[in-house]
Amino acid sequence: MTHPLMSRHRVKIPFTRRQLIYYWDLLSELVGRDLKILYKRSLLGVAWTLMSPLLQLLVFSVVFQQILKTGDGIAHYLSYAFSGLLIWNWTQSALFQATGLITGNRPLIRQPNFPVPMLPIVTVTTGMIHFLLALPALAVIMTIDRVSISPTIFLLPILLGLQFALTLSFAYPLAALNVTFRDTQHTLGVILQLMFYLLPVFYSLDDRLIPAFIRPIYEYNPFVILIEAYRSILLKSAMPSASGLMVLGIIILTLLPVGYRIFRRQSERFVEEV
Amino acid sequence: MKPAIVVENLGKCYRRTNTHRPRTFMEAALQGFRGLRNDYPFWALEDVNFAVLPGQMLGVLGHNGAGKSTLLQLVSGMVRPSVGSVHVAGRLGALLDIGAGFHPDLTGRENAQVSAIVGGLTRREAQKTFADIVEFAELEEFIDNPLRTYSTGMQMRLGFSVAIHTVPDVLLVDEFLSVGDLAFQSKCLDRIMSLKNNGCAIVLISHNPDQVKTLCDQALWLEKGHVKSYGDPDLISTRYTGKMDLKSQAQKLHTYSQEIKIESVKAIKIPQETDRYDYTESIDSGSGVKFIIRYDSTQIIENVAFALSLCNADGQIVFNTQTGTLKFDVSVWEGIGEIALTIDRLDLAGGQYFISVGAFAPDWSKTYDYHWQRYPFSIHWTPPEDSLLNPPLRWTRI
Repeated sequence: MTHPLMSRHRVKIPFTRRQLIYYWDLLSELVGRDLKILYKRSLLGVAWTLMSPLLQLLVFSVVFQQILKTGDGIAHYLSYAFSGLLIWNWTQSALFQATGLITGNRPLIRQPNFPVPMLPIVTVTTGMIHFLLALPALAVIMTIDRVSISPTIFLLPILLGLQFALTLSFAYPLAALNVTFRDTQHTLGVILQLMFYLLPVFYSLDDRLIPAFIRPIYEYNPFVILIEAYRSILLKSAMPSASGLMVLGIIILTLLPVGYRIFRRQSERFVEEV
Repeated sequence: MKPAIVVENLGKCYRRTNTHRPRTFMEAALQGFRGLRNDYPFWALEDVNFAVLPGQMLGVLGHNGAGKSTLLQLVSGMVRPSVGSVHVAGRLGALLDIGAGFHPDLTGRENAQVSAIVGGLTRREAQKTFADIVEFAELEEFIDNPLRTYSTGMQMRLGFSVAIHTVPDVLLVDEFLSVGDLAFQSKCLDRIMSLKNNGCAIVLISHNPDQVKTLCDQALWLEKGHVKSYGDPDLISTRYTGKMDLKSQAQKLHTYSQEIKIESVKAIKIPQETDRYDYTESIDSGSGVKFIIRYDSTQIIENVAFALSLCNADGQIVFNTQTGTLKFDVSVWEGIGEIALTIDRLDLAGGQYFISVGAFAPDWSKTYDYHWQRYPFSIHWTPPEDSLLNPPLRWTRI
């Protein structure tokens, strides 16, 4: 029996051309699989990705703007809140899913030669695609809000890259931790909820109501820097603060290798523990 | 030719989880992060060596818990060895957990595509082989239906077909012949053999010694994490079969007429070291032994023939004697009695043996009781020669 693929590929160096093509194919195939599974049985399909943040926007803007009046001093409040919501949703859902990745993908990690570090990348990528799919809705709200779009929007890919790397830095150690402690995901749900309120999504950092002793939490939070940078380029037609981006870069360059190392070290035990 | 798989001095030590180890973050926090260390080392596999050349197939035999799956996980690189090393040249494929990664809501086509890429093909390669995969699985009509509409057999066929079309250099197979119907099984076998003929090195895990005998070029017999035997598949699978029979037949208790019941058979080393009876289950090759047969009779019977035989692990009888041979008349009284057989030198080679004992009428018309291969008995010796006998011997120059 002859076979078109019987000519063999011997792969030794991890970054041959074929291997790079393979990693790309694997990533896109797994992301595609995630999206297909998500939309296969829902009538609304992709529209559902938009419905959920829009409903959230409705609820929170009523509570924060109308009842608590935290948004009084904020220009273009709807755009302000919706952008923050979309940005945090990406990170929040990616981290939550990444935590259950290893325990939930037994067949994949038991596949010989499967690059397990690929899994968190797949999850963060899926999150990013949802974020990108929701951008048109943001554009509509910005138009209604009469925000003028400026050329600073071309900096968006850089911020996407930074957020991708920052989310991944946390996704790696969390995925590994959940193998040892199976309730990490539940605990994380609560922590992410708390984080949401500690971010200036529906209120502004300029608000006088924020007590002084909490202020440092905002100053050193990389996600605050990130959200502020997004808003600069999207809503204020301004360049993001260079020093902020520097700090963000340094944080990523420190956290990502550490997180990845933790993941790699634990990954030897995945098959045994799962 | 360089071997495709080289396993050297391989061992895997698991740490048995201690019972107080917290499984959740909450428990750990409540215990103040104590008890996180696992204790009790347990060697699932120790001191395994083998090499498989391209185009060769190695069969791994062993009972449940012998370490077969651990070996497969180590060779596949999923689990890191505690000692020793595994070298695999080329791309690795596996027929393990077939179809486990499938998602019920995706179609057969989508599932097959993801599986092929996860199995190591690029997208172009997967698309090139796709028609073959579907044809092999005999699923042309159903390939665009969601997987949840497939029967278990169809899912297995699809999974197997994908796995077998990734064209690996080294293939690990776990009990593959449980897939689908007989016709499909023989098709799978043909495909595996064609991969082998094209230079794929294969490790096959099997419970079935006949399969290993007919398919494999080498065999490895694992027992309790150690290599019991490694080499010629004919020899090893025959021995393995023999051992299995002994194991299963030792359980069987035949009921005989039971006027005389054999209670026990025990062995004593001679010369005796003490006055007490020191029962043993093993002696050194070339030393003496006394077998004591204890019986219980319901009545007085004149002339009973007691027989005792030893057979090796292959089931072959290597020694056999009975009381009549030496004109030793035994008459039994009611109640418990004992007779002894003294062998001054037992010159059998080392190994595991089994003792059979029976009580018969002298003309063999009646079997009172018979314990077939019921009592394990082992003999120790040091020379590593493949021999059945170990008589006293010496070499001289003439």
